[in-house]
Amino acid sequence: MFTQRFLKDKRGVNLAPSERAALENAISDVRQVPARTILLRAGQPVNASTLLVEGIMSRYIDDRNGLRQLVAVHVPGDFVDLHAFPLKVLEHDVATMTASTVAIIPHAALEDVLSEFPAMNRKLWFATLIDAAIHRAWLFRMGRLDAVGKVAHFLCETNARMVSAGLSDGRRFALDLTQADLAEICGLTTVHINRVLRQLRDEGLCVFRASVVELLDPERLSRRGQFDDGYLYNERAASAVSML
Amino acid sequence: MKKEGSVPQPETEPGIATAEQGFVILDGPDGVAVTMTPEAASLTGHSLMSAARLAHEQASAGNR
Repeated sequence: MFTQRFLKDKRGVNLAPSERAALENAISDVRQVPARTILLRAGQPVNASTLLVEGIMSRYIDDRNGLRQLVAVHVPGDFVDLHAFPLKVLEHDVATMTASTVAIIPHAALEDVLSEFPAMNRKLWFATLIDAAIHRAWLFRMGRLDAVGKVAHFLCETNARMVSAGLSDGRRFALDLTQADLAEICGLTTVHINRVLRQLRDEGLCVFRASVVELLDPERLSRRGQFDDGYLYNERAASAVSML
Repeated sequence: MKKEGSVPQPETEPGIATAEQGFVILDGPDGVAVTMTPEAASLTGHSLMSAARLAHEQASAGNR
Protein backbone atom coordinates (compact mmCIF):
# COMPACT_ATOMS: atom_id res chain seq x y z
CA MET A 1 0.00 0.00 0.00
CA PHE A 2 1.50 3.33 -1.09
CA THR A 3 -0.71 5.60 1.01
CA GLN A 4 -0.10 3.90 4.37
CA ARG A 5 2.04 6.74 5.77
CA PHE A 6 -0.29 9.59 4.73
CA LEU A 7 -1.67 11.26 7.90
CA LYS A 8 -0.42 8.30 9.91
CA ASP A 9 -0.47 8.80 13.68
CA LYS A 10 -1.76 12.38 13.47
CA ARG A 11 -3.69 13.84 16.36
CA GLY A 12 -7.28 14.79 15.53
CA VAL A 13 -7.47 13.11 12.13
CA ASN A 14 -7.74 9.52 11.07
CA LEU A 15 -8.30 8.02 7.64
CA ALA A 16 -10.94 5.30 7.67
CA PRO A 17 -9.81 2.08 5.92
CA SER A 18 -12.37 2.75 3.16
CA GLU A 19 -10.99 6.29 2.65
CA ARG A 20 -7.41 5.06 2.50
CA ALA A 21 -8.45 2.33 0.05
CA ALA A 22 -10.19 4.92 -2.15
CA LEU A 23 -7.07 7.09 -2.13
CA GLU A 24 -4.98 4.04 -2.98
CA ASN A 25 -7.29 3.18 -5.88
CA ALA A 26 -7.03 6.73 -7.19
CA ILE A 27 -3.29 6.30 -7.84
CA SER A 28 -2.68 6.24 -11.58
CA ASP A 29 1.06 5.71 -11.57
CA VAL A 30 3.95 4.92 -9.24
CA ARG A 31 7.34 6.20 -10.35
CA GLN A 32 10.92 5.69 -9.26
CA VAL A 33 12.65 9.04 -9.55
CA PRO A 34 16.44 9.47 -9.37
CA ALA A 35 17.99 11.85 -6.85
CA ARG A 36 18.26 15.53 -7.84
CA THR A 37 15.42 15.39 -10.34
CA ILE A 38 12.95 18.23 -10.82
CA LEU A 39 9.37 16.91 -10.80
CA LEU A 40 7.39 20.12 -10.97
CA ARG A 41 8.34 23.59 -12.06
CA ALA A 42 6.93 26.87 -10.85
CA GLY A 43 4.28 28.33 -13.11
CA GLN A 44 3.45 25.11 -14.96
CA PRO A 45 -0.09 23.73 -14.82
CA VAL A 46 -0.54 20.91 -12.31
CA ASN A 47 -3.26 18.31 -12.88
CA ALA A 48 -2.18 15.59 -10.47
CA SER A 49 -1.08 15.35 -6.86
CA THR A 50 2.18 13.67 -5.89
CA LEU A 51 2.48 11.53 -2.79
CA LEU A 52 6.02 10.82 -1.61
CA VAL A 53 6.23 7.11 -0.84
CA GLU A 54 9.99 6.71 -0.27
CA GLY A 55 12.85 9.21 -0.20
CA ILE A 56 13.32 12.87 0.57
CA MET A 57 12.07 15.73 -1.60
CA SER A 58 12.26 19.51 -1.43
CA ARG A 59 10.44 22.60 -2.54
CA TYR A 60 12.60 25.53 -3.54
CA ILE A 61 12.60 28.93 -5.20
CA ASP A 62 15.41 30.10 -7.50
CA ASP A 63 16.77 33.62 -7.24
CA ARG A 64 17.55 35.69 -10.34
CA ASN A 65 21.02 34.11 -10.55
CA GLY A 66 19.60 30.60 -10.46
CA LEU A 67 20.68 29.99 -6.86
CA ARG A 68 17.99 28.14 -5.03
CA GLN A 69 16.47 28.72 -1.62
CA LEU A 70 14.94 25.61 -0.10
CA VAL A 71 11.56 26.36 1.46
CA ALA A 72 10.44 22.87 2.47
CA VAL A 73 11.64 19.31 2.87
CA HIS A 74 9.29 16.37 2.49
CA VAL A 75 9.44 12.92 4.05
CA PRO A 76 7.57 9.73 3.09
CA GLY A 77 3.84 10.02 3.59
CA ASP A 78 3.72 13.69 2.52
CA PHE A 79 1.83 15.02 -0.47
CA VAL A 80 4.45 17.39 -1.92
CA ASP A 81 1.99 19.50 -3.88
CA LEU A 82 -1.46 19.10 -2.36
CA HIS A 83 -1.91 22.88 -2.35
CA ALA A 84 -1.83 22.72 -6.16
CA PHE A 85 -5.02 20.65 -6.08
CA PRO A 86 -7.10 23.84 -5.70
CA LEU A 87 -4.44 26.26 -7.01
CA LYS A 88 -3.61 24.25 -10.19
CA VAL A 89 -0.17 25.83 -10.32
CA LEU A 90 2.83 26.08 -7.99
CA GLU A 91 4.88 29.16 -7.23
CA HIS A 92 7.97 27.03 -6.54
CA ASP A 93 9.76 24.00 -7.94
CA VAL A 94 9.57 20.50 -6.47
CA ALA A 95 12.52 18.11 -6.75
CA THR A 96 13.88 14.92 -5.27
CA MET A 97 16.86 15.18 -2.92
CA THR A 98 17.39 11.42 -2.77
CA ALA A 99 16.22 8.59 -5.02
CA SER A 100 12.48 8.56 -4.41
CA THR A 101 9.29 6.69 -5.12
CA VAL A 102 6.22 8.80 -5.80
CA ALA A 103 2.57 7.91 -6.33
CA ILE A 104 0.63 10.06 -8.76
CA ILE A 105 -3.05 10.81 -8.15
CA PRO A 106 -4.78 12.74 -10.95
CA HIS A 107 -6.84 15.65 -9.68
CA ALA A 108 -9.93 14.23 -11.42
CA ALA A 109 -9.53 10.98 -9.47
CA LEU A 110 -9.02 12.93 -6.25
CA GLU A 111 -12.25 14.86 -6.99
CA ASP A 112 -14.04 11.50 -7.28
CA VAL A 113 -12.65 10.37 -3.91
CA LEU A 114 -13.86 13.60 -2.31
CA SER A 115 -17.31 13.20 -3.85
CA GLU A 116 -17.60 9.71 -2.45
CA PHE A 117 -16.03 10.55 0.92
CA PRO A 118 -16.83 14.20 1.76
CA ALA A 119 -15.05 13.93 5.13
CA MET A 120 -11.82 13.55 3.15
CA ASN A 121 -12.01 17.25 2.23
CA ARG A 122 -11.30 18.19 5.84
CA LYS A 123 -8.54 15.58 6.07
CA LEU A 124 -6.71 16.83 2.99
CA TRP A 125 -7.13 20.35 4.37
CA PHE A 126 -5.61 19.12 7.63
CA ALA A 127 -2.58 17.84 5.70
CA THR A 128 -2.00 21.22 4.04
CA LEU A 129 -2.42 22.96 7.41
CA ILE A 130 0.36 20.81 8.84
CA ASP A 131 2.42 21.83 5.79
CA ALA A 132 1.74 25.46 6.69
CA ALA A 133 2.72 24.86 10.32
CA ILE A 134 5.99 23.32 9.14
CA HIS A 135 6.58 26.40 6.97
CA ARG A 136 6.08 28.66 9.99
CA ALA A 137 8.56 26.57 11.97
CA TRP A 138 10.98 26.86 9.01
CA LEU A 139 10.71 30.66 9.16
CA PHE A 140 11.28 30.63 12.92
CA ARG A 141 14.31 28.37 12.50
CA MET A 142 15.88 30.49 9.78
CA GLY A 143 15.03 33.82 11.40
CA ARG A 144 15.66 33.33 15.11
CA LEU A 145 18.10 30.49 15.72
CA ASP A 146 21.88 30.43 15.65
CA ALA A 147 23.77 27.90 13.52
CA VAL A 148 23.71 25.07 16.08
CA GLY A 149 20.07 25.79 16.87
CA LYS A 150 19.07 25.66 13.21
CA VAL A 151 20.61 22.22 12.70
CA ALA A 152 19.31 20.93 16.04
CA HIS A 153 15.79 22.13 15.21
CA PHE A 154 15.81 20.57 11.74
CA LEU A 155 17.08 17.21 13.00
CA CYS A 156 14.52 17.16 15.84
CA GLU A 157 11.71 18.04 13.43
CA THR A 158 12.78 15.43 10.90
CA ASN A 159 13.03 12.83 13.65
CA ALA A 160 9.48 13.65 14.79
CA ARG A 161 8.16 13.47 11.22
CA MET A 162 9.96 10.16 10.67
CA VAL A 163 8.46 8.81 13.89
CA SER A 164 5.02 9.69 12.58
CA ALA A 165 5.82 7.93 9.29
CA GLY A 166 7.08 4.87 11.18
CA LEU A 167 10.65 5.45 10.01
CA SER A 168 12.30 6.41 13.30
CA ASP A 169 12.32 4.71 16.66
CA GLY A 170 12.45 8.14 18.24
CA ARG A 171 16.23 8.28 18.47
CA ARG A 172 17.60 6.93 15.19
CA PHE A 173 16.58 7.31 11.55
CA ALA A 174 18.05 7.01 8.08
CA LEU A 175 18.61 10.34 6.33
CA ASP A 176 20.36 10.00 3.00
CA LEU A 177 21.34 13.65 2.77
CA THR A 178 24.81 15.12 2.41
CA GLN A 179 26.34 17.83 4.56
CA ALA A 180 25.83 20.12 1.54
CA ASP A 181 22.09 19.32 1.65
CA LEU A 182 21.96 20.12 5.36
CA ALA A 183 23.86 23.33 4.67
CA GLU A 184 21.31 24.35 2.06
CA ILE A 185 18.38 23.48 4.32
CA CYS A 186 19.79 25.50 7.21
CA GLY A 187 21.21 28.40 5.16
CA LEU A 188 24.79 27.70 6.24
CA THR A 189 28.00 26.86 4.40
CA THR A 190 29.30 23.30 4.33
CA VAL A 191 32.28 24.44 6.41
CA HIS A 192 29.88 25.76 9.03
CA ILE A 193 27.69 22.64 8.94
CA ASN A 194 30.75 20.48 9.39
CA ARG A 195 31.67 22.39 12.53
CA VAL A 196 28.10 22.41 13.87
CA LEU A 197 27.82 18.62 13.44
CA ARG A 198 31.13 18.19 15.22
CA GLN A 199 29.90 20.43 18.03
CA LEU A 200 26.63 18.48 18.36
CA ARG A 201 28.62 15.25 18.51
CA ASP A 202 31.18 16.60 21.01
CA GLU A 203 28.39 17.86 23.25
CA GLY A 204 26.77 14.41 23.21
CA LEU A 205 23.59 15.67 21.51
CA CYS A 206 23.49 14.06 18.09
CA VAL A 207 25.55 12.16 15.54
CA PHE A 208 24.97 12.33 11.78
CA ARG A 209 27.18 9.74 10.11
CA ALA A 210 26.87 7.40 7.11
CA SER A 211 23.35 8.63 6.29
CA VAL A 212 22.06 7.84 9.78
CA VAL A 213 21.00 10.41 12.37
CA GLU A 214 21.25 9.33 15.99
CA LEU A 215 19.84 11.58 18.66
CA LEU A 216 22.07 10.87 21.64
CA ASP A 217 20.15 13.16 23.96
CA PRO A 218 16.81 14.09 22.34
CA GLU A 219 15.69 16.32 25.21
CA ARG A 220 18.83 18.45 25.26
CA LEU A 221 18.89 18.56 21.46
CA SER A 222 15.29 19.82 21.45
CA ARG A 223 16.14 22.50 24.01
CA ARG A 224 19.20 23.54 21.96
CA GLY A 225 17.00 23.90 18.86
CA GLN A 226 14.02 25.40 20.75
CA PHE A 227 12.00 22.57 19.23
CA ASP A 228 8.52 21.63 20.38
CA ASP A 229 6.72 19.10 18.19
CA GLY A 230 3.22 20.42 18.94
CA TYR A 231 2.89 21.95 15.47
CA LEU A 232 3.28 18.52 13.84
CA TYR A 233 0.12 17.18 15.53
CA ASN A 234 1.75 13.80 16.05
CA GLU A 235 -0.30 11.28 18.01
CA ARG A 236 2.78 10.38 20.05
CA ALA A 237 5.72 12.60 20.90
CA ALA A 238 9.05 11.36 19.55
CA SER A 239 10.42 11.37 23.08
CA ALA A 240 7.62 9.04 24.23
CA VAL A 241 8.31 6.65 21.34
CA SER A 242 12.02 6.51 22.14
CA MET A 243 11.28 5.30 25.66
CA LEU A 244 9.07 2.39 24.54
CA MET B 1 6.90 37.56 23.30
CA LYS B 2 9.17 39.82 25.28
CA LYS B 3 7.63 42.88 26.94
CA GLU B 4 9.53 45.29 24.68
CA GLY B 5 8.19 43.58 21.58
CA SER B 6 10.07 41.86 18.82
CA VAL B 7 11.47 44.76 16.84
CA PRO B 8 15.15 43.95 16.36
CA GLN B 9 17.36 46.01 18.65
CA PRO B 10 21.06 46.87 18.26
CA GLU B 11 23.15 44.03 19.59
CA THR B 12 25.18 44.65 22.73
CA GLU B 13 26.96 41.29 22.56
CA PRO B 14 29.75 40.77 20.02
CA GLY B 15 29.79 38.05 17.39
CA ILE B 16 32.43 35.36 17.76
CA ALA B 17 34.78 34.78 14.84
CA THR B 18 36.70 31.53 14.49
CA ALA B 19 38.91 29.96 11.82
CA GLU B 20 37.80 26.67 10.27
CA GLN B 21 39.32 24.85 7.29
CA GLY B 22 40.89 28.04 5.91
CA PHE B 23 37.76 30.14 6.31
CA VAL B 24 36.45 32.52 8.94
CA ILE B 25 33.12 31.69 10.56
CA LEU B 26 31.22 34.46 12.29
CA ASP B 27 28.64 33.18 14.78
CA GLY B 28 26.27 35.71 16.20
CA PRO B 29 25.11 38.01 17.39
CA ASP B 30 21.42 37.12 17.06
CA GLY B 31 21.52 34.23 14.64
CA VAL B 32 24.16 35.66 12.32
CA ALA B 33 25.97 32.74 10.72
CA VAL B 34 28.41 33.73 8.00
CA THR B 35 31.43 32.03 6.45
CA MET B 36 34.01 34.27 4.77
CA THR B 37 37.33 33.89 3.02
CA PRO B 38 40.23 35.25 5.09
CA GLU B 39 40.45 38.23 2.71
CA ALA B 40 36.74 39.05 3.05
CA ALA B 41 36.96 38.62 6.81
CA SER B 42 39.94 41.03 7.05
CA LEU B 43 38.17 43.66 4.98
CA THR B 44 34.98 43.21 7.00
CA GLY B 45 36.99 43.55 10.21
CA HIS B 46 38.59 46.80 9.01
CA SER B 47 35.19 48.09 7.89
CA LEU B 48 33.64 47.23 11.27
CA MET B 49 36.46 48.98 13.17
CA SER B 50 36.14 52.05 11.00
CA ALA B 51 32.35 52.17 11.38
CA ALA B 52 32.63 51.60 15.14
CA ARG B 53 34.99 54.59 15.47
CA LEU B 54 32.56 56.77 13.53
CA ALA B 55 29.58 55.52 15.56
CA HIS B 56 31.45 56.39 18.81
CA GLU B 57 32.01 59.91 17.46
CA GLN B 58 28.34 60.22 16.51
CA ALA B 59 27.26 59.04 19.97
CA SER B 60 29.66 61.48 21.65
CA ALA B 61 28.42 64.38 19.50
CA GLY B 62 24.82 63.43 20.30
CA ASN B 63 25.56 63.54 24.04
CA ARG B 64 27.04 67.03 23.93
